[in-house]
Amino acid sequence: MNNYVVLNYRDHGALKVITKRSKSLGDDVMHVMTFPHEFRDVQSCYPIYFKKDPETGSFYPIALFGLEEGQNLFLDDQDMWDATYIPLMSRRHPFLIAMQSSGDKSDDKKPVISIDMGNPRVNEIEGELLFKDDGQPSTYTKQIMKILKSIHLGNQSNSDFISEILELDLLELFTLEVTLSDGSKHALSGFYTIKETTLNNLNKDQLASLQKKGYLLPIYMAVASHARMRSLVDKKDKRVG
Amino acid sequence: MNDKAIKDIVIIGGGSAGWLAAGIIAAEHNNPKHDVHFINVTLIESPNISSIGVGEGTWPSMRTTLKKIGISETAFIKDCDVSLKQGTLFAGWKNGSDVYTHPFTVPYGYAEHNLVNEWQESSSHIPFAEAVCSQNTLMLRNQAPKNITTPEYSFNLNYGYHLDAGKFAEKLNTHCTEILGVIHKRAEVININSHENGDLKSLQLDSGEIIQGDLFIDCSGSRSLLLGKHYGIPFSSKQKYLFNDSAIASQVPYSSDDDPIASSTLSTAQSSGWIWDIGLPSRRGIGHVFSSSYTDATLAETELRHHIKNLVGEEVAEQVSTRKIEFSPGHREKFWHKNCVAIGMAAGFVEPLEASALVLVELSANMIAEQLPQNRKIMDIVSKRFNEKFLYRWDTIIEFLKLHYILTERDNSEYWRDNVSRESIPASLQEKMDLWKWQGPYHKDTLHIDEMFPSASYQYILYGMGFKTNPGNFRLSNQETSAVALDLFDENAMRTKQLVSSMPTNRDFIAKVHQYGLQKI
Repeated sequence: MNNYVVLNYRDHGALKVITKRSKSLGDDVMHVMTFPHEFRDVQSCYPIYFKKDPETGSFYPIALFGLEEGQNLFLDDQDMWDATYIPLMSRRHPFLIAMQSSGDKSDDKKPVISIDMGNPRVNEIEGELLFKDDGQPSTYTKQIMKILKSIHLGNQSNSDFISEILELDLLELFTLEVTLSDGSKHALSGFYTIKETTLNNLNKDQLASLQKKGYLLPIYMAVASHARMRSLVDKKDKRVG
Repeated sequence: MNDKAIKDIVIIGGGSAGWLAAGIIAAEHNNPKHDVHFINVTLIESPNISSIGVGEGTWPSMRTTLKKIGISETAFIKDCDVSLKQGTLFAGWKNGSDVYTHPFTVPYGYAEHNLVNEWQESSSHIPFAEAVCSQNTLMLRNQAPKNITTPEYSFNLNYGYHLDAGKFAEKLNTHCTEILGVIHKRAEVININSHENGDLKSLQLDSGEIIQGDLFIDCSGSRSLLLGKHYGIPFSSKQKYLFNDSAIASQVPYSSDDDPIASSTLSTAQSSGWIWDIGLPSRRGIGHVFSSSYTDATLAETELRHHIKNLVGEEVAEQVSTRKIEFSPGHREKFWHKNCVAIGMAAGFVEPLEASALVLVELSANMIAEQLPQNRKIMDIVSKRFNEKFLYRWDTIIEFLKLHYILTERDNSEYWRDNVSRESIPASLQEKMDLWKWQGPYHKDTLHIDEMFPSASYQYILYGMGFKTNPGNFRLSNQETSAVALDLFDENAMRTKQLVSSMPTNRDFIAKVHQYGLQKI
C-alpha cells in the first residue's frame, strides 16, 4: 500500500533507501511515463509511444520496457538494469512531489518532497542515507530533488506538448504485432504513435511554431525511438531461446 | 429557369428539425474549411413561437449526424445536458409487472446466426435480450456504453443520446451560423409569393425583407405553414391504429446528486397510455402520453403525479409543474410538393414510443442533402422518390409502434382491450404476425436495405413480449446455428460480465466528460 508522507529530518533522519534495481522492488513494469525534455536520452534505449490515462482519457508519452504487463526486459536475473539511461520516473521511487499549502495564503501551494513509507526500498539498514548528521540533505537526496524537479517541469510540459500534437493531428492509434523466433506472437494494443504522414506534410508555419515551442526535436526523437523496438524484441527472443 | 442550379435553400422553423436540416444540408454542400459555399442556406425563425421542446431521445444515427455536421461530442455533451442512451426499457407492457428491453445493439453473432430458435428451446428461462445482448444488463444497471478512454463518437456498445431539446437547437444554431455559414433571420413570414407554375418564389418577412428560394423546407412544426396551410396537402390520421393524441410533460429533479442517470428511456404502461422517463444529467423529463378518447387530462395527470411520487416522493410530485401537449397522430399524404418539402412535425407526428421524431428529421435531411436536385427540371423525380420512401417509413413506424401494444395481456381497461382488436391493427402488420408465427424476423425479412428498424428490433419486441415462433422445418443454417448456439450464449454472458466490471455508470461517465473531455482519437 502506498503511504506518502512529507519528507523531514525529524521523522526520517535514520531512513535509508535501497537504490538497486529489482523485480522485488517494483521495477518489473512494462512502461513508465516520460517527458519531452528527456526524449533525447530515452530514445537512445527505449521506444517512445503514447498511452491514455484510464482515469481521465488524456494522453501521456511512455518509455516501453516490455511486451506485456509486468514485464521489464531491461531488468536481468542479476537485478541489473541493462541500459545506459534509466527514465526519470523509474528513478524517482520511493519519492514524489506533493503540493502543500504554504500556510498564510490558502490557495498558494508549493511543491514538497514526499516519501512512500510503504515502499520496499525504504528501511533503516541498507542503502543510501537521506540526511547527513547535521540534518542537511545527503548527496543522494539532492540528486532525488533534481529528479523530482525535472519531473515536476516535465508534467507541466507534457500537457501542453500533448495538446499541441493533438491539435495538429499528429497522433494515431496503432497495434504492434511482434513475432518471436519461436513463432509466438505478441500484440501490443492501446498504444498511440506519431503519425508520420501528417508530420511530413506540416506546413512552414506549423513547423516553425513547433520549433519555437521546442517540440519539434522531441517529436523526431519519438519517431527515431521506434528503431529501439528491434532491441526490445531481441531481448525477448533471447529469453525465449 | 428549369436548368437553373438549386442554390438557395430556405428553411422556416427554428426548432431541432429546422436547425438539424440546416446543418446536415449545409455540411454536405459547403466546406467552410476550404471556403467553399456552393449553396446558401437561410433559416427563418419566428421570434414569437417557442419550440415545443419535446423529442429528447435520439437514435445512434445522431452520432453520425453530429460528426458529419462537425460538432465535437464533448462540446455537445457539455452544452446540451446530454446523457447516453442505449435503448428503451419497457415496464408493465405485457401484464403490469413485467420488464423487457429494446437495446440498440443487435444480438450476439447476429450477422451469421439467428439465435431465436435455440433461445426458445434451451434458454428461455433467461429474458431474450439478456441471453443475446450484453447491453440489456448494462441498461438495467444504469451503466454507460463506453468509458473516458473511448474516443468521441466511438463505442463499446452502440448508443444514442438523451438531450435538452432547447439547448440542442441553440447549439445547432450557433454551429450552423458561425461555422457552416447558415443565415439566420428572426422574423415572421407575412406573405408567400409563388411562381406561375405554383412553385414557391419567395417569403416576405415582417422585417420588410423578401427571401428568395429555389427549395423551401417547412420545419414550422404542427402548424405546417407551407405544406399544410399554403398547399393544403391533406393530413392522414393514424389514430385508428395509434390511439394516443395527448401528453402531459414535466421536469422532475433528482432526489440527490448521486441518483443514477438511466442509460435507457424508461417507458411504463398506464391504464390508457404510458409514461416516459428520460434521465438528463441535471433533471428527468417525465411525461404521460395518453388517448383522450379513453381518459381525460385530469386523470392522466393524477396517474403521472402518482408515478412521480413513487420515484422521488410526495412533496416533489405535488410541486412539479406540468404542461399539456395535444397532437394528431399521423402524417401529411405527401411530404415534398413542388419545390417545398416538410420535415419534422410539419410532416407528421406520432407518440414518441421509439423516439422516431428526431431520426426522421435526420433521415429526411440526409436524403435531401444527398439527393439535392441539381435543377428544377429533375426535382419532381426526386420528390416522387422522397414521398414513396417516407410514406413507406411512416407505415413502418406505425406498424412497429403498434407491435408494442398487440401482444399485451392487459385487459383491465378499454384502451388495452381495444388495442388488440383486429380493426385497430394495420392489415400489413397482421400479415407479418401471421408470418412470424412460423418464421421469425431475420435479415431477409425486411423489404428495403435502409429500413427504419432492423429485423433485430422486431425480435427484441416480439420475444420481449413473450411471442412464440414455431421452430420450423430443417434448414442448414438452423443446424449450423444449433451447433454453436450454446457457445454464443456463453460468450455473450462472459462479455456481459467483462463490460459490467469495466464500464462506468452513466452519471460517472458524464461527469468525467465534463471534467476531462473525450479524445478525438
